Amino acid sequence: MDLNSAPGDPSIFYPCTPYVSIMTAYWFGEVEAGACTPFEGDAQAAATRVRSLRTSMDDFIPLDWQQAVACGVCRDRTEYLSKLQKVCIAGAELAVRESYAGKDVELLQMVRTLDEMDTVINLLSERVADWYQVRHPSFSRKYRRTPAHQLVKTIRERSRGGALGNVAREIEQIAETRTALAKEVSDRACAVLPNTSALIGGLVAARLLSCAGSIAKLARLPASAIQVIGARTALFAHLRTQAPSPKHGIIFQHRRVHNAPRALRGRVARVLAGKLAIAARLDYYRGSAVPEFILAAQARIDQAGTETAGKGGEPL
Amino acid sequence: MIWIGDVLASKGEGGVYNERMLGGARVWDPYRSKLSALYHVGTGIDLVADMRVLYLGAANGTTVSHVADYVEVVYAVEFAPRPMQDLLEVARRRKNVMPIMADAARPEQYAPVVEAVDLLYQDVAQPDQAAIAIRNCAFLKEGCPLILMLKTRSVDVRKEPEDVFQETIRLLTTAGLSVTESIWLAPYHADHAAMVCKKLPGV
Repeated sequence: MDLNSAPGDPSIFYPCTPYVSIMTAYWFGEVEAGACTPFEGDAQAAATRVRSLRTSMDDFIPLDWQQAVACGVCRDRTEYLSKLQKVCIAGAELAVRESYAGKDVELLQMVRTLDEMDTVINLLSERVADWYQVRHPSFSRKYRRTPAHQLVKTIRERSRGGALGNVAREIEQIAETRTALAKEVSDRACAVLPNTSALIGGLVAARLLSCAGSIAKLARLPASAIQVIGARTALFAHLRTQAPSPKHGIIFQHRRVHNAPRALRGRVARVLAGKLAIAARLDYYRGSAVPEFILAAQARIDQAGTETAGKGGEPL
Repeated sequence: MIWIGDVLASKGEGGVYNERMLGGARVWDPYRSKLSALYHVGTGIDLVADMRVLYLGAANGTTVSHVADYVEVVYAVEFAPRPMQDLLEVARRRKNVMPIMADAARPEQYAPVVEAVDLLYQDVAQPDQAAIAIRNCAFLKEGCPLILMLKTRSVDVRKEPEDVFQETIRLLTTAGLSVTESIWLAPYHADHAAMVCKKLPGV
């Protein structure tokens, strides 16, 4: 193949076309004008090389395994396949390892475990409370302001030895593990998402990450999407019917949103989401905390929650 | 194809996914595998011993393992790391499975390892399933079949599955493939259809 020829009219010289006849690079070596240069190296090296190859799919002709024989890479079909499989497995293992190497991957599992633990604790607490009520017909939760965890503790103490007491004890233990995990999630989030965590706290930042799927995906979300992440039902109800649009999703968990007066909540959520979008991009592309940004953003979000109806000043 | 009564099976090392064994053969459940469902509801393409197969959307390697029991070699392309871990385990135990972690929509990523194949099988959950299949026809020998498992809900949840079905046939025909069989996989898989096409000369 003429090295300078481009697909299409061969008489026109395209300066931007790739300068090598890429078509001829295969996993076992390079075939050029009938001559073959076998690739020297083990399966690992071959797999790494395969990933770096850039093949053009225009006028593509798939490889012929007999070229590998001519190349001296293998003697027969069986050997060809067994060598190729080693390269494929090495390549796939490498790719799997790489996709798990991101520092956000484990955090994702941690925060999802945390949220599922919460669900489990709530479910079981409700169940043992019901169970306890059956045992003590005169017991009622009405007019008592007992938090769920204290109720579980009472149940454990009063039904020692039995299965009910054991279940209550387990719930308490899961709750303990949950508290420790929450701390770890928060710490990890502060390391992985330093700017986002500085604005809304580690836990909520980790939940945003969990909903987005990865730090790369979070960094590519528009602020409007970040604002309503986790409000799926409300969002689709809004899109389908005349229902009002959701003001906030997960970010409602942040104190500056849920503590804001009702009338201002939507605005705080919007401003916060705008700053979070920037923060997520800083986290992804820069990877370290940017104090000037954090300070300015905090001030801006606080201002959104205090000023009256947004008259005057910088536009929101 | 190996039929034991009305049960489809394949001959190979069992225990891949706790599949049932019947007379030393592995039962190929149509409720778990769309390809098996195709053989139950329609004709499909007979898998023979000297076939080379490019399998897009290999997932956990469940169907892959059955295909590999029949054919010479399966090039199994999967994009997600989690199922790839399972697929790798299948590949370590079967000499003729080539695991490839790549995006089926970008065949150039695996062009240096895949040879010309006798069957192209695709089962990917993407909106542009027809386009992906057409792009991968570069690996398919002339006159050879393509089996496309159409997940209509992945194409567009808001569209009627029947409309997606017709639209896909149109896309495949326009690209120069002749659709020889198109059939819904009910009752085994809801809103899934199988399309068997043939690559015409000069495509």
